[in-house]
Amino acid sequence: MPNVVQQTQPAAPPPATAKKGPRGAVTIHATWCKGCRICVEFCPPKVLAMDESENYPHVAFPEKCTACHFCDTHCPDLAIVVRKLE
Amino acid sequence: MAVKLMQGNEAIAKGAVAAGCRFYAGYPITPSTEVAEVLSRELPKVGGKFIQMEDEIASMAAIIGARVGGLKSMTATSGPGFSLMQENIGYAAMTEVPCVIVNVQRLGPSTGQPTAASQGDVMQARWGTHGDHPIIVLSPISVRHSFDLTIKAFDFSEKYRTPVILLTDEIIGHMREPVELPDFKTVKIFEHSVTEKPADYKAYRNGPGDVPPMAAFGTGYRYHITGLFHDEVGFPTQRLDEIDPWLERVNTKLTNHMDEIALYEEDYEDGAKVALLSYGCSARTARHAMKLARAQGQKVDLLSLFTIWPFPEKQVEALGDKVDRIVVPEMNRGQLALEVERIVGRKKVRRVGLANGEMVTPQMVLEKMGG
Amino acid sequence: MSQHILDAAALNQDEALIPKSGWFEQSETLQKLRKNKKFPTIWCPGCGIGVVMGALIRAIDHLGLKNDDVALVAGIGCTARMPVYMDFNTLHTTHGRALAFATGLKIARPDMKVIAIMGDGDALAIGGNHFIHAARRNLGITALVVNNSIYGMTGGQYSPTTPLGKRATTAPYGNVEPPFPVCDLAIAAGATYVARSTVYHALELDKFLAEAIAKDGFSLVEAVSYCHTTYGRLNKLGTAADMMRALKDNSISRTAFDAMSPEQKADNTKIVRGKFVDIDRPQYTAIYANLITRVQGGEK
Repeated sequence: MPNVVQQTQPAAPPPATAKKGPRGAVTIHATWCKGCRICVEFCPPKVLAMDESENYPHVAFPEKCTACHFCDTHCPDLAIVVRKLE
Repeated sequence: MAVKLMQGNEAIAKGAVAAGCRFYAGYPITPSTEVAEVLSRELPKVGGKFIQMEDEIASMAAIIGARVGGLKSMTATSGPGFSLMQENIGYAAMTEVPCVIVNVQRLGPSTGQPTAASQGDVMQARWGTHGDHPIIVLSPISVRHSFDLTIKAFDFSEKYRTPVILLTDEIIGHMREPVELPDFKTVKIFEHSVTEKPADYKAYRNGPGDVPPMAAFGTGYRYHITGLFHDEVGFPTQRLDEIDPWLERVNTKLTNHMDEIALYEEDYEDGAKVALLSYGCSARTARHAMKLARAQGQKVDLLSLFTIWPFPEKQVEALGDKVDRIVVPEMNRGQLALEVERIVGRKKVRRVGLANGEMVTPQMVLEKMGG
Repeated sequence: MSQHILDAAALNQDEALIPKSGWFEQSETLQKLRKNKKFPTIWCPGCGIGVVMGALIRAIDHLGLKNDDVALVAGIGCTARMPVYMDFNTLHTTHGRALAFATGLKIARPDMKVIAIMGDGDALAIGGNHFIHAARRNLGITALVVNNSIYGMTGGQYSPTTPLGKRATTAPYGNVEPPFPVCDLAIAAGATYVARSTVYHALELDKFLAEAIAKDGFSLVEAVSYCHTTYGRLNKLGTAADMMRALKDNSISRTAFDAMSPEQKADNTKIVRGKFVDIDRPQYTAIYANLITRVQGGEK
């Protein structure tokens, strides 16, 4: 039974010299998501993409997340939560 | 209190205040407007609130909203307004929110004769709103009785969480009689008390008992009220295992308690073979006819119904077993007579119905008693 | 199969309840949802009403209101199914009558924040009479009108805000009725706070809703949304995301509108977002409380 809550733990913090890491951790609650694509189409840095079934979004590039909160404030089903990373 | 010459409509307003009504929303309509006028003056004196809404639909909505907010509430209207109120009366029945609706009947249909009396809304009071639903309808026969029955209406509406229609008429509403009202402090009304913790509160639990206690909004019991079929906590549902128990409870919660709800007065004589059965203003006609008949040595029974819905079947059936003929005077073309016929059979019933604004006269009743 | 593609059959009914761990706690918004209500919501995938619900929860959260002090009153329609999902005092009434029910509730409990949540048809067609009177009386009620210019629940009939010429299931040859300007109507009727934004500008909705709810008198927030299932399909306006993007492209701020010349203003077809009225007028329940004090003080 796949994990209901598809949680994305941010990658291990990159070495200091690498590009700054993600500023947000995105969590999608698959049970509530209806696959409407709004988050995918509007995510400014294109962190989110539809998965291979084209039915559900998933966090394709977690490290790019800038915690702009567009997705979780525009998800019609409140199925996304973005946690700001200090 | 001292004896006072009082109008029926005023007695209703006073009865509401005595019963703890603290919110009235209504719309002007002959012949009920005096109820509103009196309450607009009396309610503020007791910290109550009056509002004249933009129409009767809004008035009915507002009294439900106010009761959900914790205030006992009432509206008053007549035929045309009563027709507009029907959808929200059905909402009050579905959501089991107590409220009292006074219908001072006037001659209909349509605009009809606004200042002429009638009892033509009997069936509308029962079936005016769509769908099977419980409702209580009471009819007063005097000014003092209007006061007492208004209090009963509030008591029943709270105790059974149902809309109660006080079905009076222009005659009882507009006539004046000397009346001595009791001290309002002596008036006792059913009060809801919720014992469960908020997290466990089920506003529509199907037992124990026919009527779950009702919590007002803003008292720590946050719950959902909807006109959709709902489960025990009030959420919409289409599941039969949740709907059927509710239907059974709500459609029997009144008929299970007719011993208390059925209000009537029997004036019977041993050996009488003819009876008069009536309600509201026509019950006064029947009483007069009874006196005339008895004065001429004729035995006659009189059953005055104060509760007309749910129909007091037990009492009417017993009367039907006792006499050969039941004369039913009423100011319509035979609406309550249909119920009497349903119980005792058509052959035993004599209708004396007028729907032209004129009262049925005692002589008309006497003629029909002959058989 | 992708990690979170769930086999519907395997999905246990209770799974739809809010999971206890991790996800839910991370967002304050979600704390205002009803823990015992089954999700996801009833609305079509992509419907803007859910976005408005998020904005409303954030606005109430921002004001720090206690759940007990808030009552949501709704009529009938897609928008009216919003209150049940939230942990407030919620009343789902009859079509068009939310503001009339809310009037009784507000007068009974002047201390509560009463918010009437309606769609465009609910508020302005069958509910139009109550809309103008609630505003006229300046009752302390916030009217939140989600305007998607269609009757969605019943399958796409035109409403009082459907643009002229547009198609609906009851306007197969194009709508022949000019629409209401919702905000102007509320202003004319006496509302003391009037603002409009769109579901694309969700955070602006948060702001206007918080200001409206904080107001003492009658306040209106018009949340322009879309219905891609009926209106969008009938008028070939694309997907939910397309229609949300259209709200971005076809709206301007009030400051931009004010800067226009009279001619430009006359020709403007874009949705103007902003606050149009924010004045103070004596609030109904305060006036009536004063009346009671006067009467109980012996005034004849």
